[in-house]
Amino acid sequence: MQGSLLQPDEKRTGITFDPRTKMFLLLTVAVFVLGGAGGKNVDLLAPMLCVLPVVLFLLAGKWKRAFTYVLIYAAAYLCFWYFGPRTTGIVNFLLLALCGILSRFLPGIMLGMYLIETTTVSEFTAAMSKMHVTDKITIPLSVMFRFFPTVADEFSSINAAMRMRDIRLGGKNVTKMIEYRLVPLMVCSAKIGEELNAAALTRGLGGEVRRTNVCKIGFHMQDILLFLIALSPYAAWIAGLVA
Amino acid sequence: MIEISNVNFQYGTADIGALHNINLSVADGSCVLLCGESGCGKTTITRLLNGLTPHFYEGTLEGEITVNGLKVKEEELYIIASRVGSVFQNPRSQFFCLDTNSEVAFGCENMGLPEQEILKRREQAVRDLNMEKLMNRNIFRLSGGEKQKVACASVAAMQPEVLVLDEPTSNLDLDAIEDLKETLKLWKAQGKTIVIAEHRLYWLKEICDRVIYLKEGSVLFDISMEEFRTFPPERLEELGLRRMTTVAADFPEEPKTANLWKTTNLHGATEKSAITEAVEPGVQKQATLPAIEFHNYNFSYEKLPVLKVKDFSLPEGSIVAVTGHNGAGKSTFLRCMCGLEKKFKGQTKLHGKWQKPGQMLKECYMVMQDVNHQLFCETVEDEIRLGMNEAEEAKVPQVLKELDLSELTERHPMSLSGGQKQRVAIASALLADKSVLIFDEPTSGLDYRHMKQTADLFLHLKKYGKTTFIITHDPELIAMCCTHILHIEEGEVAEYYPLTAAHRERFLKQFSFQ
Repeated sequence: MQGSLLQPDEKRTGITFDPRTKMFLLLTVAVFVLGGAGGKNVDLLAPMLCVLPVVLFLLAGKWKRAFTYVLIYAAAYLCFWYFGPRTTGIVNFLLLALCGILSRFLPGIMLGMYLIETTTVSEFTAAMSKMHVTDKITIPLSVMFRFFPTVADEFSSINAAMRMRDIRLGGKNVTKMIEYRLVPLMVCSAKIGEELNAAALTRGLGGEVRRTNVCKIGFHMQDILLFLIALSPYAAWIAGLVA
Repeated sequence: MIEISNVNFQYGTADIGALHNINLSVADGSCVLLCGESGCGKTTITRLLNGLTPHFYEGTLEGEITVNGLKVKEEELYIIASRVGSVFQNPRSQFFCLDTNSEVAFGCENMGLPEQEILKRREQAVRDLNMEKLMNRNIFRLSGGEKQKVACASVAAMQPEVLVLDEPTSNLDLDAIEDLKETLKLWKAQGKTIVIAEHRLYWLKEICDRVIYLKEGSVLFDISMEEFRTFPPERLEELGLRRMTTVAADFPEEPKTANLWKTTNLHGATEKSAITEAVEPGVQKQATLPAIEFHNYNFSYEKLPVLKVKDFSLPEGSIVAVTGHNGAGKSTFLRCMCGLEKKFKGQTKLHGKWQKPGQMLKECYMVMQDVNHQLFCETVEDEIRLGMNEAEEAKVPQVLKELDLSELTERHPMSLSGGQKQRVAIASALLADKSVLIFDEPTSGLDYRHMKQTADLFLHLKKYGKTTFIITHDPELIAMCCTHILHIEEGEVAEYYPLTAAHRERFLKQFSFQ
């Protein structure tokens, strides 16, 4: 099995959080860092939200991931800060676009990866059912959890096949490259999806009975702390609106 | 009690019926084997029992199916699911959760059982199947056999009365099959009714008490296992079935290709191995063919050494069966040889020259287990010309003809049958002038006739002077076409030998399933 991207870890180390805390955090980062909501008051708090993924990765023992994130983010930020005022025209525009996208999207993407890699499917469904979300939404979402690693897996096989046929990126046929990759990916994913579906149905998924969940989740000290941090920009936003 | 009466079935998209006038009744606690060639309808019968037809795979269904009092046609799938457990062919696509703990509980959770009951049943299933070691694991990291075991446990925890298995051993090695056999014995002792559709038959000798043979959607015979076991091998061959006993292969006195077996010790000094001497004294003279030599085949994955192969060599142009347990390092060995592992530094001597992994990438082509991964183009013609060596243009019609693809040039590769797809992949490798071909379990899930065809194809490839490596657990295939065995265990070469009469006992011992 190649790579473990987007798969849950076998040995969970460090401090773990309730899936609901992680989801709320992801929402908060999406609203304030990606969406840029909240005005002046929040501008001071946004960097704090950007630092959060680093802390979480470190707590989960993913040193390499945390380091890479810091490096890319810092590079994008410095680049923007230093070259931004010193360039003009198209260069300035491109720089702005690239660095802007990186610094806005990256924290959210990183937090999303953290969420997926540290949450098992049953933790996720348990969290959803505790929030009284209907199975009609939970089941498709949990299938996606199962599907990401599958697609990643298929993709690496297809890549290997392409390398053996000496089909490489670059040159004139970039669109062909995409086509060559997507056709087998779609065929394989559809096939696995169908088999998966059949297997899940024969295990009684999708019945009218209310599902039980044996997975234990709950809020602890660390969740409360994280919640307080995540709530602060909302508070600042509302304070700003009131004032 | 299972009752199937007057059933005719036709899949929604098909022109002809999948089943014709099937009448069967299976008593509680019995164990039935469904067999026959690919496409005979055995899988469809298993689907009738777990309700996947007509509820999931739709079509026109006539007749009545009753499983322990449930009318399959009318009942909802999730109700049937609590009474009929299913295990499928592909271990990769039948788990829903990503970790083993949740997976074993998954079915019970869907049934809405109380939490305490689920935990109790999970514990019971884990104990019964003797799989404490597999708990708390990421399922993606398990071997095929282990995945299949988790699937069995997940089904067992639901405590169904009837169990349906559809080609459960297609992707398993011999030990994993033994394990599955134990599980089936347990289920049988618990008085469950079991229905298995299978190509591999030998392991079911003591399990099944009834054999139903299907041909083109109809039951041809329905006899007891005792009677079935009296069938001579020729009769089984005629029926398109795999053997019931150890392959009684007749290997030639001489190796099928000229031999150059030698081991090189770490200091580079060459010494004749016992194998060479065991074969024939005359071998030394024949040893003019260049050899593929393997040097520094060490590889680690996340700091864990997964491959530590001492230097060795084998003759070019041989057909080498690469055997060993699931997860023994067979695929890693061949991926390294192909140059697919970027961190691998070992060297391979091919055509008398030492090649780096990057150069090997140009020489090797792997036909994957799921050949869909490597068909990219819109027509077969485009597919085989993609990456083709210009100089090979003249060979195109010949290769197409020999691989029986001439009629199919305008078809979309994805619309072909499994065997045809495999041949398209081979054709593209031949035209890209690859000198080493690798096949990853090419005969998993094939019936006798298709397996024979594949074996003939490999023998045919020898004519092109290609060296072929075949990862396989299929002793019948090996006996039919391979010239050498390379047995890998725990990342090391456990043994390698030519398939000659002198090594017959060794081969039989490795694949003894008596």
